[in-house]
Amino acid sequence: MSQLVLDKATIKFGGLTAVNQVCFELEQGMIFGLIGPNGAGKTTCFNLITGLYKPTSGSITFDGHDLSQYPTYQIAALGISRTFQNIRLFGSLTVLENVMLGTYLRKESSLASALLHGGRSIGDTSRKREFATNLLNVLGLGDLLHVRSRDLPYGKQRRVEIARAMATNPKLLLLDEPAAGMNPQEKVALMEDVKRLRNEFGKTILVIEHDMKFVMNLCEQIVVLDHGEEIARGLPAEVKANPKVIAAYLGE
Amino acid sequence: MVASPPVSKSNPVAKSLVSGILSAVGCVALAFLVQYISGQFLSSYANGLVFQAATFVTLAVSLNIVNGITGQFSIGHYAFFQIGAYTTGALSLLFWKKFQGAANVPMQEDIWIVLMMFFGIITSAFAGWIVGLPSLRLRGDYLAIVTLGFGEIIRISAENFTFMGGATGTKIAPEKTVVWLAWLLAFAAIGLSRNLLKSVHGLAFLSVREDEIAATAMGVNITRTKVAAFVIGSAFAGAAGVLYAHQQTFISPDLFKMDGSFIVLTMVIFGGTGSITGSALAGASLFYLPEALRELPPVPFASLVGIVLGLIATIGALKRYSDQSHAKTSVKAATMIGIIVVGIVFMAILGKLLSFVPSISAHAPIQGSQLRLVVFAVTLIVLMLFRPQGVFAHHEFSWKWLRSVLARVLPKQKEGLSS
Repeated sequence: MSQLVLDKATIKFGGLTAVNQVCFELEQGMIFGLIGPNGAGKTTCFNLITGLYKPTSGSITFDGHDLSQYPTYQIAALGISRTFQNIRLFGSLTVLENVMLGTYLRKESSLASALLHGGRSIGDTSRKREFATNLLNVLGLGDLLHVRSRDLPYGKQRRVEIARAMATNPKLLLLDEPAAGMNPQEKVALMEDVKRLRNEFGKTILVIEHDMKFVMNLCEQIVVLDHGEEIARGLPAEVKANPKVIAAYLGE
Repeated sequence: MVASPPVSKSNPVAKSLVSGILSAVGCVALAFLVQYISGQFLSSYANGLVFQAATFVTLAVSLNIVNGITGQFSIGHYAFFQIGAYTTGALSLLFWKKFQGAANVPMQEDIWIVLMMFFGIITSAFAGWIVGLPSLRLRGDYLAIVTLGFGEIIRISAENFTFMGGATGTKIAPEKTVVWLAWLLAFAAIGLSRNLLKSVHGLAFLSVREDEIAATAMGVNITRTKVAAFVIGSAFAGAAGVLYAHQQTFISPDLFKMDGSFIVLTMVIFGGTGSITGSALAGASLFYLPEALRELPPVPFASLVGIVLGLIATIGALKRYSDQSHAKTSVKAATMIGIIVVGIVFMAILGKLLSFVPSISAHAPIQGSQLRLVVFAVTLIVLMLFRPQGVFAHHEFSWKWLRSVLARVLPKQKEGLSS
């Protein structure tokens, strides 16, 4: 059964149709690529899935929930987490604090307990700190725990953002251009890590990426958007050979 | 997902509980100590200042929760302060006499005031909730305008409460300067802010300040967080208002004019937005500065003009030098002290010269009470030029921080001694 289903999802901004009748389905545990030229509506798709935009028509269903009924923070609670194209870390917080915030959804103590420094809050916070530390160690960021995230180099910031998204313990992870700004070595390491997230933790992963080598080597299925419409989908090799895709990227 | 190592979980909790109880007892003891010392050794005027300092610490620290930690630019904090004061005003007018007659217990006034604080917290927290609601949709300047408008609405409404004297104001029945309660409230505001920042909930508040979109995508309910910040902040302001009303003994809308909100906002920014330590210290010191300057002697007008012009030149030179120089810290510091000395001499000469200009020398001397606000303003300008992030920036006082500072300073001294 498909985990995420986009059924004729459409969004219009005034006269502009940013995403037009896009349909695709994601199976549990799959690495899925979303590609297309600039302005094709890829990030808009992410914003639709995470509820930052509501579809004008069509529906998006996740594990049987109609996502248009939920505000963004509840969609996160349903198990969808994401990173951003223009990195959105909490700049003046440390790496550890950024990742700890990812565990906020699973808080086990009330605000009142936090204000009064109650035992429940103390235990909860120390467990979350432990969890975030472990997670950062697993993702190879263990030596950056107390660095302000704003002070990190670009590539590291992207990895911290992935760690933060992982800390919400999502079922579906949306990565928006995770390899942008990385050098070739970093890209190879990132690809291994994304594969690990799927293989070891069983996440479903949807990636937007412009680096074709990265996408073709990583993804098992690819959807190509152009001008808000789906022009091709299939295995990487099929998509690569599709004349429509070549036309969209290179012009006719 | 990631297995947590087996760590005994009761340990940090038990340790924190003990330290929590100890610090609570310590705060109560300290509050009574302040009351005892200030009541015993200080004049009643100075005692009032000690009390009001606590009020402003509470106001600054509680506004810091809204402005600094949650990043919601609110400039109507005095409105909640006023709501607290007027709540106790109304209730005391109606019921204080009855309470006084019915219950004959020791510390009767203190008990009444504690009771009133409870009601003040409820009304102002409710008002905070009301103001918090529109803030869901507004950001930055727009929110600032709404909170500013709210403050004015409260003040002007109070002018029409005829049973509380309207614009003239009304007398509040139990007159009491409860120093211990004011300081306990200030300690509570500081303690609660600190506790908040140490928890995962606190991170949610900070995340709203840092990036709302990322926060909501990580599952933070932004609406709830903002409203919670407003409610907590205004509850403290309301409680402070109750105490303030009983200390002032006479409340009128004039006491809660808009500039009060701005002074509290200034305290938060002066101390370093987001820093609890900064807000608390700035609250106390910026409250005390204009009071201390009441004693300033009158200054001839010519000298004042000379000082102001000289100050502008000196500050300009300092700023330019500090921005452009790449000299060693010691050389830089020495040069800057030099600039200040030259600047003072320049001010004196300029003042003397100007006294020969007939139209200026004919002007009456400026009284200390007028001068103090000039000093206040200049202090702020200097700070904003040289340290726009505030005195403490985002730092907090902690024993760890103190140790690290000492560790940085002490070895240098040893080197200095040995060489």
